[in-house]
Amino acid sequence: MFAIGVVGFLTRRNMIVMFLCTEVMFQGVLVNLVAMGLLHGNLQGQGMGIFVLVIAAVEAGLGLAIVVMLYRRRGTLDAESWRTMRG
Amino acid sequence: MRDSLVYVSYVVSAVIAAGIYAGLPKDGKAAQRGATVFAISAGAAAVVYLLHRMLGSVSGHVVFCVLSALSIGAAVRVVTHPRPVYSALYFVLVVLATSALLIQVGAEFLAMALVIVYAGAILVTYVFVIMLSQQSPETQGRISSMLDYDRSAREPFWACVAGFMLMATLAGMIVERSWGEPAAAPGAGHYRNTVELGKLLMTDFAVSVELAAVLLMVALVGSIAIARKRLPSAAEFVGTRRRVRLGRRWSRFEQKAQRHGSSRRGD
Repeated sequence: MFAIGVVGFLTRRNMIVMFLCTEVMFQGVLVNLVAMGLLHGNLQGQGMGIFVLVIAAVEAGLGLAIVVMLYRRRGTLDAESWRTMRG
Repeated sequence: MRDSLVYVSYVVSAVIAAGIYAGLPKDGKAAQRGATVFAISAGAAAVVYLLHRMLGSVSGHVVFCVLSALSIGAAVRVVTHPRPVYSALYFVLVVLATSALLIQVGAEFLAMALVIVYAGAILVTYVFVIMLSQQSPETQGRISSMLDYDRSAREPFWACVAGFMLMATLAGMIVERSWGEPAAAPGAGHYRNTVELGKLLMTDFAVSVELAAVLLMVALVGSIAIARKRLPSAAEFVGTRRRVRLGRRWSRFEQKAQRHGSSRRGD
């Protein structure tokens, strides 16, 4: 059962280009939670997994709303075009 | 034995990081097909490692390895694919493989919820947003016709190095520790995952469930408020129209006065 944890983090090793990658990270965390719950022989991991799912949904909704707003403002999806926010 | 496994895990992480680095679209030119194949095979190398690690420990590890290879390869493609739509589709593949993994360890409800929520709802939202906001012209699938920021990744090398560090650390820790057998693997007898999970959610996690509901509501309202177009409300709208009409009349008056004044000055 240990190797499931390995996959759990193997899947979430990226944080680069797009917003979609956060969802991949969520997947990794989810698998990891379930595996650890299984390791300890209880269901808490799966319960937590459901909350991870909820948070992912919330995050996707809000993040996409923000993306749409930024796109309307700037007309591009390039993260570099917001470079002026750099302090 | 265990030390060598640690090094193997480091090597695997390095290979995957290098594969991602090779597969990432870089300045001007897209990732070559060979690089893509390399990235995928890097995922396969990870699976070989996993096979090596799991031999004889758990039954059904072949299925497990295939599924994890699938999810890793698809995740690599999500990160490296230059087109957002395709990377969303690869993400569907990741979700499906993950849910199959969850089914394999006996978390049926979570697997179904994953497919429904992710592949059903979240991905549709993603695809909608991508289609709303994508302007890269679709000419014969040529990469040169794509947008600049789809073609080149930002700081790919250092991102890969950071990912490698993270992954190598985690892998080393996981490999180093002895985990022992999973305690009392559920799944025997008349154990039903969904029922048990529902009981757990309604007893131990009841407050959290309510909090999650509130959170979803707030996020709904908030995202609508953020993404709403700035349409003027009805009262404002009437007001602006009147102002516009008045302004137009005033400007006409001004023009007339100007013309009058200029003609008089001309006299």
